[in-house]
Amino acid sequence: MENIISVKDLSIQFGGLKAVDQVTFSIHKDEIFGLIGPNGAGKTTVFNMLSGFYQADSGEIIFANKNINDLKPHSVNELGIARTFQNIRLFKGLTVIENVIVALQQREKHTWFDSLLETEKFYRTEKLLYDHSIDLLKIFELDRFKDHHANSLPYGAQRKLEIVRALATKPTLLMLDEPAAGMNQSEKAELNDLIRFIKDKFRLTILIIEHDMKVVMNICNRIAVLHRGKKIAEGIPAHIKSSPEVIEAYLGKRQT
Amino acid sequence: MTKASYFLIGFAVLGLVLNYFLNSYIHAILISFMINAVMALSLNFITGLADQFSLGHAGLMAVGAYTSAIISKELLADQWYFIPFTVVVAGLASAVLGFLVSLPSFKLKGDYLAIVTLGMAEIVRVLILNWNHVGGPRGYNAIVKFPGFLWSYSFGLLVLTITFVTFFRLKKSWFGRNLWALNEDDIAAEVMGLDLVKAKRSAFIISSFFAGVGGGVYAHHLGYISPSSFSFLISVQILIMAVLGGLGSMSGSIIAAFILTALPELLRSLPTGKVDIRMIVYPVILISMMILRPQGLLGRLELMEYLRMKKWNKS
Repeated sequence: MENIISVKDLSIQFGGLKAVDQVTFSIHKDEIFGLIGPNGAGKTTVFNMLSGFYQADSGEIIFANKNINDLKPHSVNELGIARTFQNIRLFKGLTVIENVIVALQQREKHTWFDSLLETEKFYRTEKLLYDHSIDLLKIFELDRFKDHHANSLPYGAQRKLEIVRALATKPTLLMLDEPAAGMNQSEKAELNDLIRFIKDKFRLTILIIEHDMKVVMNICNRIAVLHRGKKIAEGIPAHIKSSPEVIEAYLGKRQT
Repeated sequence: MTKASYFLIGFAVLGLVLNYFLNSYIHAILISFMINAVMALSLNFITGLADQFSLGHAGLMAVGAYTSAIISKELLADQWYFIPFTVVVAGLASAVLGFLVSLPSFKLKGDYLAIVTLGMAEIVRVLILNWNHVGGPRGYNAIVKFPGFLWSYSFGLLVLTITFVTFFRLKKSWFGRNLWALNEDDIAAEVMGLDLVKAKRSAFIISSFFAGVGGGVYAHHLGYISPSSFSFLISVQILIMAVLGGLGSMSGSIIAAFILTALPELLRSLPTGKVDIRMIVYPVILISMMILRPQGLLGRLELMEYLRMKKWNKS
């Protein structure tokens, strides 16, 4: 199968701490790949390296046949990687629809001339962005909130809006950092369906960090497990569930 | 008739009334207000919208003022009809300085930029102070002025209008949205594909341009400039105007500039004895404003949006 992203021997060190140590994995096109591990295993650090916030000390990240190690976050996004954050990062003071438009407009060509003179083209582009955003919001049933400030939304809707905003940048790889955090059981079930739905609808590959085993085992095609910066297992959910290394990482050694 | 032509007629009538019924003291204050408004708008764009704290607008203003003054004196033989041209050149000179400052500083975040811009303004001031050709500490005088109030009024109004319309339109365009986004959460904005450095730099250069233009108008309004006209206190005063009007509100900046230009003059009528009461009343007004409306007069909204919101809340 074709790899959309391959990570090879990725390492980063903060002071004396090897946060990520020689991690290697590849994600196939059109799959949902889970990255799990106990707290502090280095999952979010891997995310930050993939999205360009941290520069890896060694190793390489190949996305769409390009080495993206040294790219800035905005260039990484232009290539087609979008992400969400563990602690929601919306543009809180902007309205829901403005949040989406900001993400959408990065793909539009704008000129200073049009916005200063408010030419017909300016209004046309604005209208287009607006309509497109409404379409996206409708998919997630957020359009009724469109003029609300982002921080006034209920928690679940904020998570959803963050996903919409990431989708608005038209990614091929979507990285979700603990999307189910803080959700209740029914919201989690809804999220599962939603992730599967957007994967098919937008033809995405999804990389997901999640603590909730139910969610992960349910939707992931394959899973990699990190522990203390190292990858200790990789495979299909059934395999991961029964792997002794994984059980040990989460629960400790069995006393005999 | 369009809205613009109503405004045009209104301002023309206003100008004529002011010209024939009021004295030159009021005239001078009015032009000062326009200059202050341009400066406050310029600062508000970079500090209010983009959240890049600049404390160096007096420096940018100084570069504009001296550029415009030197060009008209040395190259254009003190002809007043060249003033619009020299003022634009003044803006460009400040924009170049703004670009140079932005090269190292937009790797920095938050308060560090304030320090860099403050340093820039001081460097500019000290350089002028030691430049004998432009008078050094004695100042540069006999700069050409407009021949009458109607001229300077029209020109000031034109500059203010262009400044306001530019910032107002940029604010509601894609560019303004980008700035809001990076103001709210720069990390998220970057992940959305926004080039932060480029956006901040463009905003700073535009802001610098208009600060320079403001400086140019200032030089030709007073006819005399000296390094002390562009001290740190001026930067702070511009900042107070931007904050009072509401960071991010363009119309708020104009209102605040009006209030803060008129207020000290109105307070002149207070009795002066052993104590200058004016110097007590003015800060008290500012402090009570900060307590009563910490978000500024209009917050982030423009005047029309604010009025609409008030009406909506009532009904």
